[in-house]
Amino acid sequence: MKMRHKRTVMALLLLLTTGSSAQDAALSERELIQQLVQEVKELQEKVKILESEERSSGNPTQGTALPSAGSPPVPEETSHSQHESFAQEIHELHGIQWRGFGEVDYKVLNQNKPELGTYGFAPGSHGNFYTGDFDLLLTSRINDKTSVLSEIVFGEEDAQKFGVDLERVLLKYDYNDHLRMSFGRYHTGIGYYNTAFHSGSWLQTTADRPLIMEFANDGGPLPTQAVGVSVTGEIPSGKLDLNYIAEYGSSDTIRPNLSGVGVDDENNSNHVDVGLFARPDSIPGLQIGGSIYHDEISDTTKAPSLRLGQTIANVHLVYTGHRIEFLNEGFLIRHAYEQSLVVYNMPAFYSQVSKQIGRIRPFFRYQYINAQPGSVFEDIGLRRGPSFGARFDFNDNIAFKTQLDHTLRKGQPDLDGLHLQLAFTF
Amino acid sequence: MSTLQTGLAVILVAICIAGRAGISPAAAQTADVAIVVNDKNPVNNLSSLELRKIFAGEKRSWAGGLPIKLFVRAPGARERAVLLKLLGMSESDYKEHWTVKVFRGEAQAEPVALFSNGMQKEAITLYAGAVALVNLQDVKPGMKVVMLEGHKPGEAGYPLN
Repeated sequence: MKMRHKRTVMALLLLLTTGSSAQDAALSERELIQQLVQEVKELQEKVKILESEERSSGNPTQGTALPSAGSPPVPEETSHSQHESFAQEIHELHGIQWRGFGEVDYKVLNQNKPELGTYGFAPGSHGNFYTGDFDLLLTSRINDKTSVLSEIVFGEEDAQKFGVDLERVLLKYDYNDHLRMSFGRYHTGIGYYNTAFHSGSWLQTTADRPLIMEFANDGGPLPTQAVGVSVTGEIPSGKLDLNYIAEYGSSDTIRPNLSGVGVDDENNSNHVDVGLFARPDSIPGLQIGGSIYHDEISDTTKAPSLRLGQTIANVHLVYTGHRIEFLNEGFLIRHAYEQSLVVYNMPAFYSQVSKQIGRIRPFFRYQYINAQPGSVFEDIGLRRGPSFGARFDFNDNIAFKTQLDHTLRKGQPDLDGLHLQLAFTF
Repeated sequence: MSTLQTGLAVILVAICIAGRAGISPAAAQTADVAIVVNDKNPVNNLSSLELRKIFAGEKRSWAGGLPIKLFVRAPGARERAVLLKLLGMSESDYKEHWTVKVFRGEAQAEPVALFSNGMQKEAITLYAGAVALVNLQDVKPGMKVVMLEGHKPGEAGYPLN
């Protein structure tokens, strides 16, 4: 009889515990565990706060960090120490936050001479390993409106030597959403890519930057860096969400020729750059805009004293959303020689599209630059062609990229390249 | 008779366990999540778009210029899941989003992730520009609840849950 009762109870228990589906039960258990873990964490945090309070006051019996609704107001002095204690607790007071980006690359070309700077490219070989840029990003909050951002890059040069470049150092002051100022060395707002992607390769989809947006010290034609002041902010414009950018500063672009032989020292005058872009509320992820940049440079290929006015117009249309990245930028570089009628108008554009599918992001890019013979950018010439490949994200910190390039060059054989890159952040 | 009583007791315990494991969290899932700010903050109502922009770091100051200070719950909390739903992001997307924001100089740092609503309450009290998401039942005195699209949490049509 007892045995029969036991069996009935067991059966009922079994029915109760397996009454809902197995999936629901697993889900509920997980939620319960999460809830319990959360409660434990909350208790641990409370204990930490109480302990730090005791330490700072030196009196274990005085107030708590979490006063109840009915408790009397906390005296100003205690409130201040409480503020400090809490701020320290969340590691945001006078601290420097570090972030690192690194890469290891292998690039092989179907020619025996370097392109786009040297990157440790040994003349006479077809392919080389190199470490590209090792990038340290430092940020620090001075107060609610003021902060510092610094980007230091250790870049590989010829013969596996490394040079240090202070890519950016900015004292930033955000008065409000309509007025944000930065003072120091910045990446110019000459195009979308230059402000969106900096030196950390991990952040960009492709293994390299489009040539028109390549950093000048790696052979890119545009003044990508400057020292001065940059002001940006929103313009009240309703659902259009218009933003402006205005920069005034000095850059001194020294650009190695793409052939790897010789450098152009442009001795830039102070520049002015103004831009406008919209991020319409109706299409999140869309950005449409443009900018105009102007300075004066030297044409050292002809004579060091020969000066010319450089005006660079940019338009861009960018969409990043639904795991799609669609980048399009067009440029017109105008070089007008002083005391002369010689003018060069050099168009350039690139278009890049990619889509994240699971951990893989296949991409395609087409780029075009038409730098006229006789101009400062004669070494670039007319070149155009596609790049395609894929980025594979092992996890949130490490990505592997494979990229194939085919470049058609006027007056030179077509150039094919394979670029492999292991990019990481830490 | 005593066996029958033991059996009934076991059944009651089993019902309680099943209830705790399955029913309570499910009930909690239906609760609204409140937007809370410092009680000195004059904001009373936000649109869903404004809220998304605030927690995406696109809107960085309140009307009047007071810097917005974001506080979010650490992964695992329900408020975190609601935040990710609001932004349309996974945990990985969220992490990458803030890495990019900081790298571009569009944010000082990733929002501070707190392990408890007690800490969220403390943050809201201490920082004038603070904003956080808190389960409605965990809203404490000292937290000012902001309406979303003209609805208070708990009202029909409140969109954040």
